[in-house]
Amino acid sequence: PEAALHPQIINFNFEVVQVTWNASKYPGTNLTFLYKLSSDETSSQCSNYILQQSHTAGCFLEAKKDEILCFSITNGTHLLLTKCQWISAYLKPSSPKDLNFQWHQEAITVTCSDLPYKRLLYEIQYKSMFDTEWQSKEGETCNITTDGLDAEKCYFFRARVKTMESSYGPDTYPSDWSEVTHQQRGQLRDSCQEKKLFPKFILISGTVA
Amino acid sequence: GESGYAQNGEFEDAELDDYSFSCYSQLEVDGTQHLLTCAFDDPDINSTNLEFEICGALLNVKCLTFDKLQDMYVIKTKKFLLIGDSEIYVKLGGKNITSKKLNIVEIVKPEAPFDIRVIYRKGANDFLVTFNTSHSQKKYVKELMHEVAYRQEKKENDWMRVNLSSTKLTLLQRKLQPDAMYEIKVRSIPNANYFQGFWSEWSPTFHFRTPEITGRMDP
Amino acid sequence: YNFTDCDFEKIRKKYQEVIYQALEKYMNGTKSTEFNNPIYCENPPDCLTKIERITFYPTHGCTSLAEEIFAIGTNATLTLQCPGYSGMQINNTQAKKKRKKREVTTNKCRERVAYLIGLWRRFSRIS
Repeated sequence: PEAALHPQIINFNFEVVQVTWNASKYPGTNLTFLYKLSSDETSSQCSNYILQQSHTAGCFLEAKKDEILCFSITNGTHLLLTKCQWISAYLKPSSPKDLNFQWHQEAITVTCSDLPYKRLLYEIQYKSMFDTEWQSKEGETCNITTDGLDAEKCYFFRARVKTMESSYGPDTYPSDWSEVTHQQRGQLRDSCQEKKLFPKFILISGTVA
Repeated sequence: GESGYAQNGEFEDAELDDYSFSCYSQLEVDGTQHLLTCAFDDPDINSTNLEFEICGALLNVKCLTFDKLQDMYVIKTKKFLLIGDSEIYVKLGGKNITSKKLNIVEIVKPEAPFDIRVIYRKGANDFLVTFNTSHSQKKYVKELMHEVAYRQEKKENDWMRVNLSSTKLTLLQRKLQPDAMYEIKVRSIPNANYFQGFWSEWSPTFHFRTPEITGRMDP
Repeated sequence: YNFTDCDFEKIRKKYQEVIYQALEKYMNGTKSTEFNNPIYCENPPDCLTKIERITFYPTHGCTSLAEEIFAIGTNATLTLQCPGYSGMQINNTQAKKKRKKREVTTNKCRERVAYLIGLWRRFSRIS
């Protein structure tokens, strides 16, 4: 049954956990979701079901701590699935807020408020109008300096939060990207005009000694 | 030390030659095999019957003996535990004559970066420098700091240096001499606080010429 | 042994940089979330207590974890970073003799290592 139900868990920033399942194998049935967090005394039934075609297809539950969630899904008479996992294994951090930019010569320091739990990777991506791809820089806190920039150019910046696999496992989700912000000569800009990239692009032939 | 060795001698006995030696490690240099290289600090030492041995912080064995290659002593193995100190012994006829405690993860010398290229971006009035490193595919020493050095050719010690953790850098055209021949190279050093060590060798040098005129950037 | 006085920061670094790779290599692609009923640990000392028990004490169906690379690394780490911890004595010849028997990693052992992975991850998140 587990393969049929194919439960999917997302832990939204240790605030709310969403568990969804594929109910198509049990048409017309309201499956029941019972759960217990390691800090709970007893099990409880879901109080906030997600409905699909007016039948239960998931549950939202509050889970504020780094703990183990045990849940079972039944069709009223038969136990279809039972599972226990650390909810941290399915963490999706919230995206960075209040990004702050500080220019100093050809470098920029991007800061934002750190999330209240550890072993995260804060990723800043940036590109100038002349770059085809984003360039990434990561740090274990949201205080990342990127140097080698040209104050003359207009740059796009965005940020997100990822988890360290050695601390959370391979099944987590990166946060959504923050909004893209634009910077030029140390000032915030509304936008950067996208360039026709490399109208004149010359690969310098060099000799390798 | 600059050349990439950790060194201090332990036995101060005046009668003995100076058997002080230095070592560096290279992890996952051949698949999962690591390399440990040691050499006497005194290149003129007569090392004919001298042997090296490492003990401690090894997997399932107590000690390993080095192979000798000219005046270098080398071990290629998967048996480094990478946790804790080891002791390295210099032996003469099976008898220890000097030894030194060291930690394999603190004497790491990365492999040299390679494939350095420069692309002139006319519209952007800059030079895009890219290079490659074998360490991005490794499990252990993944985080490196790179140092890019560039200068106008034939200008002796006029190297400009930039430190970066990525493998892409832009040099601004307005900061370089027009119509001049430049050379550029890069090297790496471990950048995580667990793995430490020394600068790698420099990459091969790449030469490039700057355009004649310094144009304004497209608005 | 009470793991309260260990240097948790240094243990975490050795886990993240070395032991973690050995655990992943042992699991050989099997995800730890494929096993149900992970073991909870409350705080770093509690996690290390449970890690030591699962790593070094054989159980029915899985008797050979102690000489795996991750176990040797765990032993070395606890010995280095926990004052007074004398470590588990695994004599090399015993390890070599058992090697023949260990060729097939039993599913029971994989389950035990999945628990270990959960405990180490938890330890690294809270220390």
